[in-house]
Parts: sequence; structure tokens; C-alpha cells
Amino acid sequence: MKRYLAKRLLYALLILFLVSILIFSIARLLPGDPIQAAAMMNMDLANEEIMDDLRSQFGLDVPVVLQYAVWVKDFFTGEWGTSFGSGEPVFEMFLRRLPVTLELFAGYVFWSFLIGFPLGIISAFKRNTALDAAITSTAIVGISVPVIWEAIVLIYLFSVYFQIFPPSGFVPFSENSMENILCMIMPTFVLGTHSAGMYMRYVRSSLLEVLSQDYIRTARAKGLKEMAVIMRHAAKPAMIPVVTVIGIDWGYVISGSFLVEYMFALPGFGRMGIDAIAARDYPVIQATLLIVAFFILMVNLAVDLLYGYLDPRVRVT
Amino acid sequence: MNTKNTALLISTGKSRIRRKNVVFAVLAHKMALVGVVIIVSLLCMAVFAPWLAPHDPNDQDLYRVLEGPTWEHLLGTDDVGRDLLSRVIFGARISLVIGIVSTFLSALFGSLLGLIAGYKGGMADMVIMRITDTFMCLPVMVMLLVIVAVLGPGVENIIFAISVLTWTTFARIMRGQVLYVRELPYIEAAHADGASELRIMFKNILPNAISPIIVATSIMLGRHIMLESIATFLGLGVQPPTPTWGKALRVGYSYLEIVPLYSIAPGLMITLAVLGFNFLGDGLRDALDPRLRGEGEKYR
Repeated sequence: MKRYLAKRLLYALLILFLVSILIFSIARLLPGDPIQAAAMMNMDLANEEIMDDLRSQFGLDVPVVLQYAVWVKDFFTGEWGTSFGSGEPVFEMFLRRLPVTLELFAGYVFWSFLIGFPLGIISAFKRNTALDAAITSTAIVGISVPVIWEAIVLIYLFSVYFQIFPPSGFVPFSENSMENILCMIMPTFVLGTHSAGMYMRYVRSSLLEVLSQDYIRTARAKGLKEMAVIMRHAAKPAMIPVVTVIGIDWGYVISGSFLVEYMFALPGFGRMGIDAIAARDYPVIQATLLIVAFFILMVNLAVDLLYGYLDPRVRVT
Repeated sequence: MNTKNTALLISTGKSRIRRKNVVFAVLAHKMALVGVVIIVSLLCMAVFAPWLAPHDPNDQDLYRVLEGPTWEHLLGTDDVGRDLLSRVIFGARISLVIGIVSTFLSALFGSLLGLIAGYKGGMADMVIMRITDTFMCLPVMVMLLVIVAVLGPGVENIIFAISVLTWTTFARIMRGQVLYVRELPYIEAAHADGASELRIMFKNILPNAISPIIVATSIMLGRHIMLESIATFLGLGVQPPTPTWGKALRVGYSYLEIVPLYSIAPGLMITLAVLGFNFLGDGLRDALDPRLRGEGEKYR
């Protein structure tokens, strides 16, 4: 297990290195340089002297390899540069917005697990019935519906028509916990829909596969209660493909969180990313991408480790 | 008869029978049939848009802006008095063109690189797979927005950006298939027979490794249509006055309280397109390879 862990960790580091080069190059691939690009968007900067000043301030007047090294070093020490737009340090912007996004993710986990797992299990046990067909169709609709449209429909139904939830905006939990929960219900549900559909399908198919195995028949034959068969023998192996899909789904969930924060005007990390992209605010874009990549790699690493725990065969190879 | 011909005969003969069965199996699969109906309807809408649309999609009538549904304008009118139904019908064109072209390019390059990685192994495999893994940690939608923001909006740039970001999915699927197929006895037979590498790759391996690629193509097509509409929705995609679903969704969203259909109708079309291709993908998977049942999500 230790060797497996070390191998995965080294690999994640290698990929992080490659990703950082890719992200670093994006801003350098522009015609001209980031300062020029920023000047096109913001007329106050369009002056050779100011631009030269900015170039030395952002360290753009040294060789590219050195720029990269400085950028990586700064990233690890929390100096993520300042936003072209607001002039605020990116690291502080990130810290301020993190709680909103974390709350969104917590709600996402709640909805997707709450809907996905029970329905998947029911559908496996009632296979080939009308209920199973209904759940399977619901799952595929949940997977297909685009975040932006689902958000618009829900806002229309619950904010405009029935007026139950606020259409957008954010109230911190510390300020008013009730209003905070009210304004997070729709965003978290929209974010959870896609994964809920995925979990339904995966839990169903992997449970069906495991339940058809010989050792499950043995367990039943020796007189174990159905509940004991499931909890002691079927649950763990059935989780293996489900864990994999959690890992695969994360990239999709992060994209989704960007859109959800945009649609519901939540002042989170994703909203910061979308605003930065729209304004070509490169220091913020680079930091956003690197954090996202780091986060996805960490989740994948966690999935790999969980995988090793659930499936003893993996540890050996 | 030498082994090469036998192998070929078996493989082509089999695939011809299978192809016929696949069509039947897809049509017998209820969900897949729904998918086919949706996709064919959308295609017809795009191709016959000028005949189907009741009005010119760019005809403005500033005296009749933001109207609800009437007999003359079945879905109402938009903020400059254009007929919404006509704009939704014409919107199918750009979405399908971008979806089809980007998926074709991405599947072509992805499969080719996956085939090389899987068959050649060694250095080629290492390089291609590390690139794939690198792309895997950057969410496609976020990267799409960044690339389009850098390159500037426009149809070609969107197609380019989507293809560049999604070929890795096809490469991974193809590589996995090739690793399995190349160990089969008939490939050994082809080697023994002195067949050239290219011949083995394209004539012997490719036809037997392509099924999951076909399934993925269907599912990815729906996804690419959604990606385009998101980019356009955020103002980074196709530019006006081209009628697009994403743009209508965007402008309609700001008038949600007055004319809900303005954003809900085009959004429904995007959803239907994604749903149609997902249904078809599911059906194709069950028809092409029952072993893959329930694995469609891996293509996302």
C-alpha cells in the first residue's frame, strides 16, 4: 500500500508540473503580452510608460523560464499577484470567496448523494419494473439537462411564479442562517442534478453486477439475512465503480459550479473565474486554473487511494 | 486461403452482419428510438429551416417587442420584435454545425492518436497519455471559455477550442480498445502473414476497436452542442445577428419575468439535443457491445 501511495503521489506531482506549464503558456500565447491585452480592455493602461512599469512590476521583462520559476515559487508562498481589474491581491480574493464555494459543494454532496444513492439502490432491486424504468429515465434526463437552462426554469418556477426562494444573491450564514439556506437551495440542487443522475446509474449497474456473483449466492445459501448479505458482502465491492465515477465527475462539477455561481449571482470562486475570463484578467485566470487543476488532482488522488482500500487487487499492481 | 484473408473475411463478414443487427437493435431499444426521433427532427429543422420558419428570423418589428404567444407569433417575439419560433428553428443550424464538425475533428484526431499510443506503445504512448492526463485536470468548459476569450469569439474559434480540448476522451477510449484487440490471435496471425504495420492498424485493429468510439461520438455530440451554447450564453461564442439558442437564452433570461418563453424555449431545444444524443448513445452501446452496459458515463 505504501508503494502504491508513493507512486500515485509522484504521478500527481508530474501532472501538476505539466498542467502548470500549460496554464503558464496560455497567457504567453497571446499576440503581444498580457499587459498589452489588458491595455486593450482598459484604456487607463494604454500608455507605453505605464505598460513598461507594469511589465517590470509583473516580472515580464526577464527570460520566460525565469518567469515560470518565479510564478511557481510565488504560488506556493501565497503571492498570486494582483488583479488587473480591481488591483486586489488574488490570494485575498480567493480566500474571501472560498467559503461560498465550499458551502455550494457541501450542498452539492447532500443533494447528489441523497437523490442518487437511494434511487440507484431501489432501481437495482426493482430491476425491469416500471419503477426501474422511471428511475433510469429520470437519471438520463438529470445527466442531460444543461445547468444554465435548469437554473432558468427553477428561477422562473420558484422565484417568479411561486416566489418561494430568492432568485439570486447571497446572504452569509453568520448573518442570517435561515436566509442563507433559502438562497442556497436552488443553486445546490442544480449543481447536484448531473451527479445524482450519474450515481443512480452507476449504483444500479454495479450493484446488479455484484449481486449476480457466486459468493453472494453462497452468502445467501448459508442463510444470511438479505440485509447482512448487502451490508457485509455486496456494499464494498459495489462501491468501486461508484468511487471511480465520483472522480471522473469532479471536472464536470467544477465547471457546473462556475455556471451556477454565475446564474445565481453567488460571490464565490467560480464567479471570480468567469468575471476574470470576461475581463481577460490574466493573473486571476492563471490562479483560478491552477487552483482548479490542483483541486481535481487532489480529488483524483483521494479516489485512487480509496480505490486501493476498496479493491485489494489494486494495491499490488 | 492464407491466414490474412481468412482473418479479413471473418472480420468483414462479421461486421456486415453486425451492422444490420445494430440498426435493428437500436430501433428496438425504446430510449434509443426516442433519441433517433429527436435527432432526426432537429436535423430536419436545421436543413429545412427557411421553409419551416413562419417568419424571417432577422425581421424586426419594433412595434411588437416582447409579446407573449399569439397566433401570428406562436412563441411570441423577442426584444427587437423578431419572431421567436423562427429564431429557435434557425438556431438549430449553428448548434448542429458546431456540434457535428467539432465532434468529427475531435473523434478523428483522438482516435488516431489513441490508435498510435495503443499499438506502438513505448515513447509514443507515454507522451500521448501524459498529455491526455494533463488535459484531464482542467475542466473542459472553463478551458473553453479561456481559449475563446484569448482567441476571440467566432464559429471557427469555438470549433477549434472544443476539438482541442476534447480529443483526449477519444484517445483514451481508443487506446484502451487497441490494447485489448492487439493481443487477439488474429492479429498475431496477420503479423505472421507479413502484413505491414499500417495495414494491421487500420485494416485489422481499427474495425474491431471502433464500437466504443461510435458510442462516445453520439454522447460527445450532445455535450459539444451544450458547450457551444454555454460559451455563447456567456457572450464568448457565436456573435449576433446569427440566431443561436445560447444567445436567445442569454437575452431571454433578462426578460424572464415578462416573457418566460423567450429563454425557456431555446433552452428546451438545447436540452432536447443533449438528451437525444445521450439516448442514442445508450442504445448504440447496448446494441454494439452488451458488455459495456452502464459504462457510458466514462466518456464524459
